[in-house]
Amino acid sequence: MDQSVAIQETLEKEENCLICEVVSHSITESILLGLVESSKEHAIFIYTHRRMAITADDVSLEDIVPVSLDFAVVEISSPEELAVVGADTRVRVSYQEEALELRLPFGSHSRLFLSEVNRAWSDACKSPTHVPTFEWINKYHKANKGPGVVKQALGTTFTKLNQHRKTGLSGARSPPAQNEWQRSGEMSEPLRDSEKSDQKGSSEREIGSNSGTQKSRVCPSPESQAISRDDLVHASSHTTSNKAQILTMPQFNLRDNLIRCELLKNEDLYTYRENFSLFLGTYNVNGQTPKESLSPWLSCTLDPPDMYCVGFQELDLSKEAFFFNDTPKELEWTKAVSKGLHPDAKYALVKLVRLVGIMLIFYVKKEHAEFISEVEAETVGTGIMGRMGNKGAVAIRFHFHNSSICVVNSHLAAHIEEYERRNQDYKDICSRLQFRQLEPTQTPLTIMKHDVVLWIGDLNYRISDLDVSNVKELISKKDFETLHSYDQLKRQIDEEAVFVGFVEGEIDFQPTYKYDTGSDKWDTSEKCRVPAWCDRVLWRGKNIKQQHYQSHMALKASDHKPVSSMLEIGIKRVNSEAYKKTFEEIVRNIDKMENECIPSVTLSKQEFHFKDVKFMQHQAETLSLLNDGQVPCQFEFIQKPNEYTYCKPWLTANPPKGFIAQGGSVDIDLEVFVNRSTAPELNSGKEQIEDILVLHLERGKDYFIPLTGNYLPSCYGSSIRSLCHLRDPIQEIPQETLRDLAESSGDENAVTVEKPLDIPKELWMMVDHLFRNAIKQEDIFQQPGLRSEFAEIRDCLDTGMPDSLPGSNHSVAEALLLFLDALPQPVVPYSFYQLCLEGCSNASQCEKVISMLPRCHQNVFNYISAFLRELLKNSANNRLDVSILATIFASLLLKSPQKQDLAEKRKTQEFFQHFLTQGSS
Amino acid sequence: MGRQKEDTVRQQGETERGHSETEGGHSETTWGDRMRTNIKMTAAPYNYSYIFKYIIIGDMGVGKSCLLHQFTEKKFMADCPHTIGVEFGTRIMEVHGQKVKLQIWDTAGQERFRAVTRSYYRGAAGALMVYDITRRSTYNHLSSWLTDARNLTNPNTVIILIGNKADLEAQRDVTYEEAKQFAEENGLLFLEASAKTGENVEEAFLEAAKRIYQNIQDGSLDLNAAESGVQHKPSAPQGGRLNADSQPAKEGCSC
Repeated sequence: MDQSVAIQETLEKEENCLICEVVSHSITESILLGLVESSKEHAIFIYTHRRMAITADDVSLEDIVPVSLDFAVVEISSPEELAVVGADTRVRVSYQEEALELRLPFGSHSRLFLSEVNRAWSDACKSPTHVPTFEWINKYHKANKGPGVVKQALGTTFTKLNQHRKTGLSGARSPPAQNEWQRSGEMSEPLRDSEKSDQKGSSEREIGSNSGTQKSRVCPSPESQAISRDDLVHASSHTTSNKAQILTMPQFNLRDNLIRCELLKNEDLYTYRENFSLFLGTYNVNGQTPKESLSPWLSCTLDPPDMYCVGFQELDLSKEAFFFNDTPKELEWTKAVSKGLHPDAKYALVKLVRLVGIMLIFYVKKEHAEFISEVEAETVGTGIMGRMGNKGAVAIRFHFHNSSICVVNSHLAAHIEEYERRNQDYKDICSRLQFRQLEPTQTPLTIMKHDVVLWIGDLNYRISDLDVSNVKELISKKDFETLHSYDQLKRQIDEEAVFVGFVEGEIDFQPTYKYDTGSDKWDTSEKCRVPAWCDRVLWRGKNIKQQHYQSHMALKASDHKPVSSMLEIGIKRVNSEAYKKTFEEIVRNIDKMENECIPSVTLSKQEFHFKDVKFMQHQAETLSLLNDGQVPCQFEFIQKPNEYTYCKPWLTANPPKGFIAQGGSVDIDLEVFVNRSTAPELNSGKEQIEDILVLHLERGKDYFIPLTGNYLPSCYGSSIRSLCHLRDPIQEIPQETLRDLAESSGDENAVTVEKPLDIPKELWMMVDHLFRNAIKQEDIFQQPGLRSEFAEIRDCLDTGMPDSLPGSNHSVAEALLLFLDALPQPVVPYSFYQLCLEGCSNASQCEKVISMLPRCHQNVFNYISAFLRELLKNSANNRLDVSILATIFASLLLKSPQKQDLAEKRKTQEFFQHFLTQGSS
Repeated sequence: MGRQKEDTVRQQGETERGHSETEGGHSETTWGDRMRTNIKMTAAPYNYSYIFKYIIIGDMGVGKSCLLHQFTEKKFMADCPHTIGVEFGTRIMEVHGQKVKLQIWDTAGQERFRAVTRSYYRGAAGALMVYDITRRSTYNHLSSWLTDARNLTNPNTVIILIGNKADLEAQRDVTYEEAKQFAEENGLLFLEASAKTGENVEEAFLEAAKRIYQNIQDGSLDLNAAESGVQHKPSAPQGGRLNADSQPAKEGCSC
């Protein structure tokens, strides 16, 4: 029954109780926690209630804890003592500076509750902009009487728990712990203890429960039952962590799933087999109440079993039980079972599940309790209309150490001829009985997905094809083997029509049905049923050995005899050392995997050197990137701090970014090209051929690729002024001299004592060469030269002073144009450009501007103008005219610091034409 | 419960939270604990809740990459080439019961790359400043490395000084005591370690992580600050985002 309905009734319309949880905060009372949502704010409402809460009248609000940033739910368990399996989840709810401790019953519902609360909390944390006001809570604060009660009560719980922990850790069963254990044995008295005081304790408890919690007894929900029972388990000692539980905690992401998969895969590395005994009992009690001791049945073994799974059928045949699933017999039989358990050990009741008359109880020896985890119970009805609970099955699943076990107790269809119906019931149970998983995304667990499946119950298979007398005769001869061959279940199994994969031990006892109640006599009623082995025990799984399989004639209360079987099951136990090792190994491997998944490439070369870089001479080297990583990668050359581009202007990487498939490679051309904009700084030695490229791999490492080289200074890109001071070829000049020259620019007298040249000797050489050789050259300055010849000319100018220059006239002409183009300051320096434009229409104005130029610039200007005028004299041969030369040379001699428009261009040409026509006019 | 306090907290906001951490003398109710265990419960058990960015700096050849390799792979890389660039390693460590993912940026030590490597300091939560106990020059350069580290990281960046190659006792050129004193004078953590034997390697990374964690706990490291070097994952509800956070956006070089 979902008690959130009762909570919802206490709330306003717009407030919703999302989920509710029953929490035991003392032995006799429990409280209700409701997670309430209103306009995206959450709060936990704490109610006390005196009975099973059905309506708003049953609950009274004690306190409200807003789920705000100051809120926290903390699971109380230190790493060294992880929660005992099957135990309550202890949590501390804190808000601001107050905290209260709660014990949530073990199970998926509590987990769900906690995860809902946490979701609410993380929602609150996620939206820091939205400050929750919790105004809607205020009305409750005014109305209710105050927070005192709960806190006090919880305070006592808190101290108790502390005691537990201490005693648990010390390993000794100190009095308080024992007391608790005993008192909470209210329903099942799982511990046999002859101490009188304790007996008194338990009887007191019974009185209390009769008066106070009658309702919940009548209408038990799995959760509310779990509280009291889990108390029992909880009281067992707290010891080292249970790995089985770690394995099965809720999973959220890939990394965790990976780890879990790996852990499962490597289970053999950290588990070993150990045999544990499991006692299985099945008893169709025909609606009777327990009148006789069950010890002959349940305590028939010499040694106490490690676990008990006891199943009943026809617990209650009354209409009430059928229609309301409501019976006092549950308690009566549970008590009887608890009393009948083996006297040499103490047991804890882990789980009880019942569907009308089909009940299954699971006990475990106290010392094993902490190794039980993930206990879930489910029921399936296959009775009337294929759904009702008069027939069907109940099942409990759990993990014991690292093995998963599912126990099914079923009551299949009756009547001798209905064996196919029984087969169908079996199949229905197998398909319909599903246990929910902690993580909603995982598909529900079915019966067969367990390491061990144990199937008990009144399977109702009969003996066919033999009449009563024959059957009884075989029984009296104890020829069970022959009789067994007529057994429907055996035949159906042989035909693989039912229980495929299951094993049943040899039957060495007489049929367990049907007797006259209270006797060992076969049915004497009118129907005179044929005796049959209705009550059976089967199993499925590895490493299981049956110790015994028998019926118990001593019990006479029912028309069936109980059957028992003791199985020795090889359980996978966790070696915590090995587990730790395996776990760490897996984590390390995943870390390693992650490290390996960092993109990585191999560079064909770590470092690049460009030798003898020259002006306008292209040099390239290839950098090959081989993607030797585990993943495809994306690379890119990235900028260094305080730089605008990823590399120096004289360098390019092509391509500068790209993608390399795993195992693939890419060639990148690193190209050096010094042009007129980069040459001046390199010539003067202010800049070097030196750079560090940063090759960045997306989500990966960065590689630094140092790049070095030497630049051979050139007259190209050197200033007129500097060149005028150089009497030797530029490459024979020490670097420092060049730097000094560059730095002293503007200071005419500072540099050398030597008188500077009138014009740069390189200019003179080119012009003189053309004057001597190309004055009549057709299309001079109009036809391009050869690049290779330019290189020769450049080298020639930079390294020596030959009498004549190499290359064709056209190449020399082009070399001259390039020289003028590469000047850092044009022949008419930038600062005079505007003046030139202004005076361009007036010849004397133009000459005036030229006279204002620095001496060497003025010389160059006049020298070139004179040369060009000489050329024009031969225009018949070289087909030049004023306009052509003005167009070519004006753009080189008069450069704009900015981009020129067409009108400006015309003006510069107009300016220069005055000088071309000077002599002739 | 808590009703009376509600208003004051709302007013004081963040500072109140930081405050009560230090106040909470009884450890079980401190905010730090609560924060931590909240994560423990919400996030999956194997997963990490923080990412710390570390950088390793120091002269060439002091063994920075070997320390990283020893830390991530538990192996000694005998013929480790010089790091030319910046390399990465990650590992998940447990720090005060918290799973923390360390994301370590191992930088080139060569002087000529110094200008470039500086851009990687930004946003580091921890810096391992390494010298070689057998080469005094690497020790002498520490103050320059320290200046860089101080100038280029945030004031809360935890710097740990590591004297590497502690296995080469015979060739020792820098005494433990003087380095210890240097560390103390400059407020650094200090350990001598050996990437070869693994001695103190784990500890070096852990000590720094502990200090960072402590700074988070006492509120001196503001996680919301862009350059705290720490990423916090309060819970992982979306699931399967391994890649999304395996590398933070690289800063510094993209400016």
